[in-house]
Amino acid sequence: MHNQRAPLFHLAKRTSLSPARAWTIRLASFVVAILIGGLIFLLLGDDPVSAYGAIITGSLGKKVAIRQTVKIAVPLLGTALAIAPCFKMRFWNIGAEGQITAGAIGATFFALNYYDKLPSPVLLIVMGLAGAVCGAFWAFIPAFFKARWGTNETLFTLMMNYIVIGLVKWLQGGPWEGKPGSQIIPNFASSAVLPKVFGIHCGWIIVLILTIFIYVYMRYSKHGYEIAVVGESENTARYAGMSVARITIRTMLLSGAISGLVGYMVASGANMTLYYSVADGVGFTAITVAWLAQLNPFAMIAISFLLAILDKGASTLQTVMNVPASISDIITGIFLFCMLASEFFINYRLVFRHDSGKEAVSE
Amino acid sequence: MKKLIAILLAVVMVFALCACGGGGSEPAKPDDSAEKGTIKAGLVCIGDENDQGYTYNFIRATETAKEALAKEGINVEWVIKYNLIEGDPVAVANEELAEEGCSVIFNNSYGQEPAMLTIAPDYPNVQFVGCTNEGSWKDDLDNTHNAFARIQEGRYVAGVVAGMKLQEMIDNGDIKADEAVIGYVGAYSFAEVISGFTAYYLGAKSVCPSVTMKVQFVGSWSDATLEANAAQALCDAGCVMISQHSDNTTPATTAEKNGVFHTGYNADMMAAAPKASIISTRIDWTNFFVYAIKTVYNGGNFEPDYCKGFAEGDIAMTTLNEDICAAGTKEKMEEVIAKIKSGELEVFDTSTFTVDGKTIDSYTAIDMTGDFVPDEGEAVWDGAFHESYYPGLMSAPYFALRIDGIEWLNEAY
Repeated sequence: MHNQRAPLFHLAKRTSLSPARAWTIRLASFVVAILIGGLIFLLLGDDPVSAYGAIITGSLGKKVAIRQTVKIAVPLLGTALAIAPCFKMRFWNIGAEGQITAGAIGATFFALNYYDKLPSPVLLIVMGLAGAVCGAFWAFIPAFFKARWGTNETLFTLMMNYIVIGLVKWLQGGPWEGKPGSQIIPNFASSAVLPKVFGIHCGWIIVLILTIFIYVYMRYSKHGYEIAVVGESENTARYAGMSVARITIRTMLLSGAISGLVGYMVASGANMTLYYSVADGVGFTAITVAWLAQLNPFAMIAISFLLAILDKGASTLQTVMNVPASISDIITGIFLFCMLASEFFINYRLVFRHDSGKEAVSE
Repeated sequence: MKKLIAILLAVVMVFALCACGGGGSEPAKPDDSAEKGTIKAGLVCIGDENDQGYTYNFIRATETAKEALAKEGINVEWVIKYNLIEGDPVAVANEELAEEGCSVIFNNSYGQEPAMLTIAPDYPNVQFVGCTNEGSWKDDLDNTHNAFARIQEGRYVAGVVAGMKLQEMIDNGDIKADEAVIGYVGAYSFAEVISGFTAYYLGAKSVCPSVTMKVQFVGSWSDATLEANAAQALCDAGCVMISQHSDNTTPATTAEKNGVFHTGYNADMMAAAPKASIISTRIDWTNFFVYAIKTVYNGGNFEPDYCKGFAEGDIAMTTLNEDICAAGTKEKMEEVIAKIKSGELEVFDTSTFTVDGKTIDSYTAIDMTGDFVPDEGEAVWDGAFHESYYPGLMSAPYFALRIDGIEWLNEAY
């Protein structure tokens, strides 16, 4: 009876998987992604080998290319670090995009108004603080509502993104506009631009410091422990005498502040101005980075760098091989899909019908 | 275990492939660029060719320029980057194109110029062009340029076509003289847009003296829905002719839906609205591309600014919709274009318009101090306002007067 009704296969959660096996699965998924991508190139009539070659040389082949790749990785890593504590707490902050933008607004305010009133190092620090405060403020609003009234944080943080992006559009065409009608905020004065170290704005040093900070914070601090407990079970946290509301708000403040700092780095270091797509989807891609890294800060360095390689490499691919621009998105999509799928197969396994009976017994 | 080995084998093979790829693509490149008669040119676009308007117009010119240069024995290899609005992504694209060996890099949108200018100093041997903007010609760098066209001439002619249709409607008794109202969908209340619709209005007025115009700004260069809504509002306000300075065809289709007529910009909109769209005007970038690329190819450097019009073939009119245009439009158009070419007709002839009832006799065009307030460059002389006047002034439009007869329904900055 049982066997007849059982579907062809069903999913079962894996109880334990040796790290070696897990990494084999991850590696295999990477290979599958490369093969599917290669198939796409073949379909387009391009040689997959030279296409992948172009991706590698385009992102790592020259000093300039490496610099650009790192520049793409910096905000990805920074934002992944920002959302990691929230996700650990099972608070789905998908508003990093907006928090980055809010931070960029804060930094830009000082860049535009105090560039000639403060010495450059002081100005840069003030801009960074302003970025962190604005980002934290933007994260505080949904956190407060969640803590006070139990609103849905996923929708709330998402919608906050559109509000702040609209705010930048208004600033671009309104009070901060340069030439009337141009919709463009003038480039920052050099005193408000992050200095370069090895040819890349020093944001890369900041995010590396942040990586260590988040690692220590999550693993060894009391706060980090509380976050983990709330993530596992709010009731347990309450029973242990923790204030879930306080922890939620505190963690979101930290998350928003780091996102805001990322916004400051992108506006001051990379763009040297503010415009509405300053976050450019980083707030969403960083979610993938955080998940793929299993919220491990050091793994995030590798993942964000890998995604930056794909991003930059795919863009070069379009320039040198004249493949359609959307191919780069497709290739990135295939890699992300396969990598996320591998996490799925690490956590679950397919159980086919012929051994489902045995499975039922063991359960 | 067997599976594991198979997977590992596959991994090894793929990495081997990659390693070969990395090495293999290197030697192929120098051969290409060293090929005699080849020059690489880059184009950074705000959108892609699917817009069938602004960026498509540039892509089309890359093709015609390539053909034209091929006839002179110069092989152009275009490298085009899409969907770059402003900021760092634009800078990265410029850097990438320069690294890729492009000798000239064109940036097709106004907002890209500041980012382009951050890269230009690092590549003194590469020429950078910011189309439609004005920051490059007046900076200290020799390798940064601006370019535009006297599009007001094309708008004027489109206005003549529209005015003839309106006058015919008046003569036929379809509308009364004071019902000849044009509705104009503008992007922003910005000199480029103001200059465009004023030229258009003056063209219409030259053949239909009773015409007036209402302008509705949408606050976006490209938002199909907003443009349609603006066009609908204008139709509801009694406009019988719609024109636009925005990127989509929705003003044309809205005009058709309301049974009124339309003239467009950047693209032939006849396919989208065959019963409404009479004609469009567009900039033809071919000449500029050919000039810039050829000069660089021959080892020279081109002018810091560039602006040409009908006379040089930089402005084009799309196919006239002869099913719906007024009788005699084609002949009149040819006559007006010939007069513009010869210089007999000035688009902004100061005797044809007034500002607050007064004829203007002076206008300052250029801001050199960076405070966004024009401080030098007299644009009015010999009874005309000289728009996009280069050499002498600059290619970027600066006509921002509100002339009588044009009603602004709103503003959008």
